[in-house]
Amino acid sequence: MSTLLATFDWTIIRENLPDLARGLERTMQIWVIGIGGSTVIGVALGAARANRIPVISQLAAVYVEVIRNTPILVQIFFVFYGLPSVGYNLTPFTTAWLAVTIWGGAFNTENFRAGFEAVPFRFREAGLALGFTPLATFFQVTLPIGGRIALPSTINTYISVLKNTALLTAIGYPELTSVARSIAAVTFRDFEMITVLAVVYLTIVWTFSILIRMLEARLALPKEA
Amino acid sequence: MHLPDWVEPVARYMLETGLKETLKMSALSVTGSAVIGILLGTLLTLPFLVVRAAIRLYIEIWRGLPIIVTIFFIFFALPTFDIRFSPFTAAAVGLALWGSAQVAEATRGAVESIPREQHEAASALGFGWAGAHAHVILPQAFRRLLPPLVSLLVNVVQNTTLAAVIGVAEVLETANRSVERLQLTPPSESHALSIYGGVLVVFFVISFPLTRLAAYLERRLV
Repeated sequence: MSTLLATFDWTIIRENLPDLARGLERTMQIWVIGIGGSTVIGVALGAARANRIPVISQLAAVYVEVIRNTPILVQIFFVFYGLPSVGYNLTPFTTAWLAVTIWGGAFNTENFRAGFEAVPFRFREAGLALGFTPLATFFQVTLPIGGRIALPSTINTYISVLKNTALLTAIGYPELTSVARSIAAVTFRDFEMITVLAVVYLTIVWTFSILIRMLEARLALPKEA
Repeated sequence: MHLPDWVEPVARYMLETGLKETLKMSALSVTGSAVIGILLGTLLTLPFLVVRAAIRLYIEIWRGLPIIVTIFFIFFALPTFDIRFSPFTAAAVGLALWGSAQVAEATRGAVESIPREQHEAASALGFGWAGAHAHVILPQAFRRLLPPLVSLLVNVVQNTTLAAVIGVAEVLETANRSVERLQLTPPSESHALSIYGGVLVVFFVISFPLTRLAAYLERRLV
């Protein structure tokens, strides 16, 4: 352990800090787009699934099963190398956010479907009885309550989306993991670079895990009388 | 039906070399994840603070890191300390670390979901800790563990594709090599869409029945 600390080269981290920061920035950028996009997909298709809207509901089910039953790394390769071979040229950036969003959207569809289905039917009945249109009932009643029920599992999905951005290394998108690997490849300071990655990812993931636990306590629906 | 000439050798390479390697790695990391995970998860329910803290740290680290970072750590960083693994072993160990952390957490949840009355009834019948766990608690917990366990193991199988990143010739890597070879040899066509599509199909065929099984077990056992 003492030799480890003695040979740990802090200067390599300091010298490459701007590059690492740029990589982290790209990771965060893809993550934020992924969170936004997967939430929109999840709410829309989750609602279609929960309300059994014909055609859309079945297509959404197929989408969810295909994404959940295939590895995300293969999905990334399929989008990045496969689509250009039939004429759809995508930049690495587009591939990056598209792949993680499609993946997160499928998981969020299930999260929101379960959340919406857990909203007691009489709540919606009450909304309709008060003269709300079905759409207004969804936005005023089902979404706020079902969204709260779905929140812990959606945050878990967001954490997975973050971890999936590390796979973009495989297509050379210069996010954090990719940048750290490149620096290690020329400096041979693999241990230092992996340490940077571990510290950054664990800090973000652990912060969010704590957040889930706090939110679960805060947002838990009141016990029914 | 007549397939283009390039299909047969590519399919043969991907299935005979690639799929074999994928299944071998799946078997190893799935077994490792299940055995280590169930053991650690059961120990996590014991009232020994130090043991619990150590296992909790193990779970939070290997569950928190992107698996690819764990694999890079084993394959690229451990050699700094003269610990060297082949790409295959590095990937299998990385997957088992992640998988066992997930299974441990699921096991803890399952064991703790058994109501206190069951423990009390077992001790009233004269069972000690070991007897109560072996005959009363764990058999019930295992039924609750089975559905999430199957889903987690499907995830482990899917994540064996990460081994491609460090060059293990599993299904995805044999697909990468086939795409490249077809692009570099005349008539220099890209068949990336069909080949990666084929990889998606292979994993879907393996995963879909297992996720259905998990859903069925959930209805039947819980």
